[in-house]
Amino acid sequence: MTLSIANLNAGYGKTQVLHDVSVPDIAGGAFVGLIGPNASGKSTLFKTLAGLVTPTAGTITIGDDDVTLLRRKDRARRVAYMPQAFGCNALLNVFESVLLALKQTTGWRVEADNLDRVSDTLSALGLSHLADRGIADLSGGQAQMVAVAQTIVRAPEVILLDEPTSALDLHHQLSILTSIRNEMDRKKPVVMAALHDLNLAAKFCDRLVLLRQGTVLADGAPNHILALPEIGETYRVETDLEQTKRGVFYVDARLAE
Amino acid sequence: MIAGPLSPLEGTFVTIDVNPADMRRTYAAQVTRRYGMIAVVSGLLALSFFLDVATGPGKYSLSVVFDVLTDPLSHGVRLKVIVWDYRLPVAITAVLVGALLAVAGAQMQTILNNPLAEPFTLGVSAAASFGASLAIVLGVSVIPAVGPLLVTMNAFVFALLTCGFILLATRLKGVGSETMILFGIAIFFTFSALLALMQYMASEDQIARIVFWMMGSLSRASWEKISLGALLLAVAIPFSLLRTWPMTALRMGEATAESMGVDVGRLRVEMLICISLLAATAVSFVGTVGFVGLVGPHIARLLVGEDQRFFVPLSALVGALVLSLTSLISKSITPGIIYPIGIITSLIGVPVFISIILSTRKEKLS
Repeated sequence: MTLSIANLNAGYGKTQVLHDVSVPDIAGGAFVGLIGPNASGKSTLFKTLAGLVTPTAGTITIGDDDVTLLRRKDRARRVAYMPQAFGCNALLNVFESVLLALKQTTGWRVEADNLDRVSDTLSALGLSHLADRGIADLSGGQAQMVAVAQTIVRAPEVILLDEPTSALDLHHQLSILTSIRNEMDRKKPVVMAALHDLNLAAKFCDRLVLLRQGTVLADGAPNHILALPEIGETYRVETDLEQTKRGVFYVDARLAE
Repeated sequence: MIAGPLSPLEGTFVTIDVNPADMRRTYAAQVTRRYGMIAVVSGLLALSFFLDVATGPGKYSLSVVFDVLTDPLSHGVRLKVIVWDYRLPVAITAVLVGALLAVAGAQMQTILNNPLAEPFTLGVSAAASFGASLAIVLGVSVIPAVGPLLVTMNAFVFALLTCGFILLATRLKGVGSETMILFGIAIFFTFSALLALMQYMASEDQIARIVFWMMGSLSRASWEKISLGALLLAVAIPFSLLRTWPMTALRMGEATAESMGVDVGRLRVEMLICISLLAATAVSFVGTVGFVGLVGPHIARLLVGEDQRFFVPLSALVGALVLSLTSLISKSITPGIIYPIGIITSLIGVPVFISIILSTRKEKLS
């Protein structure tokens, strides 16, 4: 299975946000980091891939299938999207909230297999102790973890995570991304995550796509992309790409003088 | 609870339950508890319904009433007429209208993401009252040749038109749930003003009829209305149950529901059509009865949460129970007098409602 995005244009009303965006040949099992400053079009790209924004031009294919032609429910079965907004005041517990995400694309009745998938997902993400907790009572970070669980439980071919670590402390950032990688090793979906932390992107992603003003500025391996001068220009900082003794790349960034 | 590995979420020194089988068992127990809750409320409703039928100006023992219910002519024609032609339609109407209002309220609250939404707060009742007053004061019929159903049909049409207006408003760009509530408030005040105008133009007798209509009464019950109400409910409950998963997802927020594949716009329209029919029918049957559409879902939510598979049926049952008890109380306060149910629901229901809110708050604080 391969996800390909070709010459995509999309926006809201008369405002065009994405301009000729192409990200070809993302193989199943690849973790693609979408980086770029605020308002660079990351969320719009995810919404377009998920079918919440209709493209004005371009194609999105999974394997040989043009996903823009799929019905909403069929598309949701294959592409799962975690939006930035999470947390709510509904009287549901964590187990129920993950189950309901799964039930949107499966039959009406709750089968034993559904319960297995929910409990396995919560265990895999280290959330089992929260299963019985009301979602309205969760902290911001916990709610974000549950939102990730709601996405992963559906076992789609493409997982889109819009800033999955924005509300998490360092420990939990590493924990959730490690859990996602473990899930990927088992099920081989394409995972695209919008990340603001370039060091997390360097550590976890197989490929980075740099967006600026709705255009793909660069696309490639993390150590290649993060070394580009465009990184500093795009974020309006000065950067150097360093490497630790353990071989991990990291970005040393500071405000431009 | 068993000792398991340390949670990556909680860091060290935390013993957690990580057994998937335990999670599934807990969920199964929760589901069983909810079915139990539905069974208990159904039992209470059956009891209240029977007491409602057994209560009235004429004093008959429970066993006699039970005999007449099972064998209409067992105690003569007079008792058959009292029980079957008068008390039973009233008791059934109370149950049906309570259920209709509560289901309409539950669905309105879900699609508008607002616990205060119900036919009364969105102006549907006010519109129905205006429609009724139009018939009472000017004799104007929105639908020609409806005969004795003039007032009821006018109320129904105006309630339906109001729901249609709200429905159209949802199709406008940039209209969210808050705007819809504001629309409802605007509708409420508009029809209240028009109603006041009708009252200003009305004779003393007509004013009395309008006021009586607005107070809400089960005395307008009939088997024809019951058949229509039952049919609507028989369609509405399965219609809602088929949409329980998307509706539950909507409680997670619009963005989350959409990301899960729910067509939120279409779902809202479908549910509003359903709500329109339920609310318009209920209000046109008995007049203005506030509070039931609010408290039925509220109590149901506290008992079973917001999984709509349980929430919608339990809302219907609680709403039916509330109005059935109201009917019973309306006959029991002063022997020989039946008070309008609208007064009872407000006088007794609102303090109960406030006490529920305060007790919930206390629980949260503790």
